[in-house]
Amino acid sequence: MSAAAMNSQTRRERRRRERLVERDAAIPVELYGLKRGTVTALTTCCVLFALFTLAPVVWVIINSTKTQSNIFGSFGFWFASPFEFFHTFANLFRDIDGDGTYANWFLNTVLYSLSGGIGATVLAVLGGYGFARFEFRGSKAFFAIIIAGLLVPITLVAVPLYLAYAKVHLINSVWGMILPSMVVPVGLYLMRTYVELSIPRELIDAARIDGASELRIFLRIALPLMVPGLMTVLLLSVAGTWNNYILPLIIFSNNQLFPVTVGMGLWSQHAGNSGDANLYPLLVLGGLVTIVPMIALFALLQRYWRGGLLLGSVAN
Amino acid sequence: MSETALRPSAPAVTPPSTPGKRRRRSAYARRQGRAGLAFVTPFMIIFTLIMIAPLGYAVYQSLYTTKLIGGTSFSGFANYSTVLQSGDFWDGVIRVIIFGGIQIPVMLAIAFFFATIFDLGVARWGPLFRAVYFIPFAVPIVVSSVMWGFLLDPAYGPFNHLMNAIGFHNFNWLSGNLMIPSIIIIAIWEWTGYNCIILYTALKSVPRDVIEAAILDDTPLWRIIVRIKLPMVRPAIIMLVFINTIGAMQLFIEPTILNNYQAGVVTNTWTPVIDIYSTAISNGQYQLGAAMAVVLAVIIVAISVASLGFRGRRREQ
Amino acid sequence: MSAISMEKLSKVYSSGVSALAGLDLEVRDGEFVVLVGPSGCGKTTTLRMVAGLESITSGTVRLGDLVVNDVSPRQRDVAMVFQNYALYPHLTVAENIGFALINKKVPKPDRERRVRSAAAALGLMDLLGRKPGQLSGGQRQRVAMGRAIVREPSVFLMDEPLSNLDAKLRVRMRSEVLRVHKAIGAATLYVTHDQVEAMTMGDRVAVLHDGELQQYATPRELYDRPANLFVAEFIGSPEMNLYEATVTGDELLLGSQRLSLGPARTLLAPYRGRTVIAGIRPEHLELDGGAGAGHAGMATLVADVRVVEELGDEAHVFFSIDATAAGASMLAAAAGEAEAGLLAGATHNGIARTNSRSAVRRGQRVTFRVDTERIHFFDPDTSMAVPRMPR
Repeated sequence: MSAAAMNSQTRRERRRRERLVERDAAIPVELYGLKRGTVTALTTCCVLFALFTLAPVVWVIINSTKTQSNIFGSFGFWFASPFEFFHTFANLFRDIDGDGTYANWFLNTVLYSLSGGIGATVLAVLGGYGFARFEFRGSKAFFAIIIAGLLVPITLVAVPLYLAYAKVHLINSVWGMILPSMVVPVGLYLMRTYVELSIPRELIDAARIDGASELRIFLRIALPLMVPGLMTVLLLSVAGTWNNYILPLIIFSNNQLFPVTVGMGLWSQHAGNSGDANLYPLLVLGGLVTIVPMIALFALLQRYWRGGLLLGSVAN
Repeated sequence: MSETALRPSAPAVTPPSTPGKRRRRSAYARRQGRAGLAFVTPFMIIFTLIMIAPLGYAVYQSLYTTKLIGGTSFSGFANYSTVLQSGDFWDGVIRVIIFGGIQIPVMLAIAFFFATIFDLGVARWGPLFRAVYFIPFAVPIVVSSVMWGFLLDPAYGPFNHLMNAIGFHNFNWLSGNLMIPSIIIIAIWEWTGYNCIILYTALKSVPRDVIEAAILDDTPLWRIIVRIKLPMVRPAIIMLVFINTIGAMQLFIEPTILNNYQAGVVTNTWTPVIDIYSTAISNGQYQLGAAMAVVLAVIIVAISVASLGFRGRRREQ
Repeated sequence: MSAISMEKLSKVYSSGVSALAGLDLEVRDGEFVVLVGPSGCGKTTTLRMVAGLESITSGTVRLGDLVVNDVSPRQRDVAMVFQNYALYPHLTVAENIGFALINKKVPKPDRERRVRSAAAALGLMDLLGRKPGQLSGGQRQRVAMGRAIVREPSVFLMDEPLSNLDAKLRVRMRSEVLRVHKAIGAATLYVTHDQVEAMTMGDRVAVLHDGELQQYATPRELYDRPANLFVAEFIGSPEMNLYEATVTGDELLLGSQRLSLGPARTLLAPYRGRTVIAGIRPEHLELDGGAGAGHAGMATLVADVRVVEELGDEAHVFFSIDATAAGASMLAAAAGEAEAGLLAGATHNGIARTNSRSAVRRGQRVTFRVDTERIHFFDPDTSMAVPRMPR
């Protein structure tokens, strides 16, 4: 047996054990004194809401295989021939009506999300640690200002940013997109909470008494302990930039720089009167291609964000 | 919050303080303060550049007016009085307040309902449903608006077929009367899962023995939920009301995209943010747009503070 | 009649962990029974099965005459005090105490009267309007008890209720709990890991280890006649000194020292020529004032003093003799109390509890007198006590 196979087997075994322990830790349903049929009724409620949740996703998957006329002409929740998926998919790499190329937008989105998300995480990790474990003049005031930043509507900032960008030539610059994506006050807040809950002061003090420098303490002791919180912030800030619409809408006039969201907004605006360009299938498939990486990322990293979201509710 | 001023180890490494200087803080504390400052400086710099400076700039700009002839000049609160007297702007504000006033309670009720079910484990396949409900959170609002635009399309949308099939002919989800309810449905679709997960994790942190004590006291399930669990997760609910309110007040993407499926309902002033966008960016009236943005921010802060005050009062009781 | 009885009670968790294996135990009406043992011994699981919070893998639990295996905890008429008190944090003290009465639809005036009388019994009258967050640990503990007694249950369960209190308060609350127990008279099952608590509070004490009952007896019986090595070491502080010893005719060979057995030799007859484990409680080692051996069965033991711990009223003398210790490591593993070994650098293999005023110094060679009748003997193969003669 290969090491990888063994690894996955032990992981599966561990997961099974965790599930069983979790079951032991939960209060048995019988103790709630439910009436017969309650579980069935509640499960039915869950199924109904799941149908509501999945309907648009299922619709997108099905209709990403259809021609424009079938998207409108055939029953929305079943397939219709011809199977156009690959044809439409190829069109994602073409500039079909002069608005721009989906593939290009997609790469832009990846670029903005990764650089903005990584930048945001670095800043939040440093800042969260600084605010959680140090005191300096104005530290409380600074932190209060950042918390107030949670309340500031993005649009309030977007308009003056646009004005300021016009002055410093950041209109149509990728930095104009990436720099604002690096400011995630929630991320800093989560990191600070995480440090307070998971890195005891005594641990840092012990390292100080041992004569380690602050930088070394941070890199060698604090940072490894911060990884789960860090992953949450990374995920949330990547997702935040991935979904961002209004900022790129305002600061980009060059279609080549659009992220997927703005490009799709533009398509949906033009689809009604684009004549032969057949933008609707592109809009549907483009939507599907946009959401798949995010769902995959969330599924892959779910143990991180679940814990991270918990922080938010604990800290409040 | 535990904020110990000095570490216990401080005296060991503190050099005698220089006489004459009235410094309370030891050199040790100062050195640490500098280290702390170094950690937060990168964030503070970008934060200042991206949040604080534009805010100041917005306020500054909002006090000026650009005329076609005569250029830009200081105009005091003229822009603000224009905004405050604009019926369209206030219509938009009222519209988003109605939107949020319905959407947020309904969504939180649904989210709490399911979070409770998952927490108690009283439905089958809880973990699966939990994952399914969270999917919309990974869908960009633009994309979900596009998808729902198709589903609700007045001519071809399957949801219209559905209404036709059950006897409502010429039903239009995106008509003037139903645009807000439709957007409410979309927003519920987008955000219930996220709110549900947060409530679920909060419910999970209610100590098990408290619930067991209630069971031994023969407390009926509904009473455990309403009298014990609900009050114990109130902080999480308040936080969610907060976040959702800020989001609802900035409603922009859904109506903008749905406008492409049913022209004429969503006007340039339909919500405050649409109003700001079309005023500042489309029409180039930056200063007026900035004033609108400031007014909107004040409204949002006022609502947030009011809800905080409400929380404070409740806590004292 | 017994208020609680358990027969062959077992618990295996779905993760495969076995917590309890075939426990037989009964609690008589009005009796105060303590379940004691190191963490993980199954005592809390037992309590939770009696409450109905934990499902029963096999065996039966009876409350009174009724088998309650399938009875919901809601209908069992048991009250429980939890280790972390499990108070409702958003309700006042009065509401916490009265919560169960609302469920029982007790009319309001009656309810208020009962809440007040429970609060009065526990000295909580001035705190009725406060919330748990504003109370001290001891006050919270009282509220938790108030919440239980207000229901006037037929069975009272307590899960380490004092373990979150500081040492002084814990001692005070012991008598408080007993006073409440006497007042309401309900059969009580009380779980603790603290053997002192068990000895001072229990009418009877059940010692559990690894999910199995070691001994169920009165505190005095546990102390005087521990059924096996585990109980011998677990009960008593400092713990019993245990040595491998060889029985040779009339004498016991402890390392190089010979102790004349006296009357004990008859019960050790089957072990003649074999090894037994001899247990001597630290308080049964008397410093010899030079008087020499007294009556028959009085033996002497020469030891080198390693460390003396002065406690004021008494002193603990850590000594070493050349015999092989049989118990210390076992207890350290079982109860996580490696402390003794760490303190004295593992150079000692015995402890004596002596009068503080005896000026024993470290490094000194001393002679202890020991009454061989008070030595406990255990079979090294079975760990069981060698049966004593009836007194």
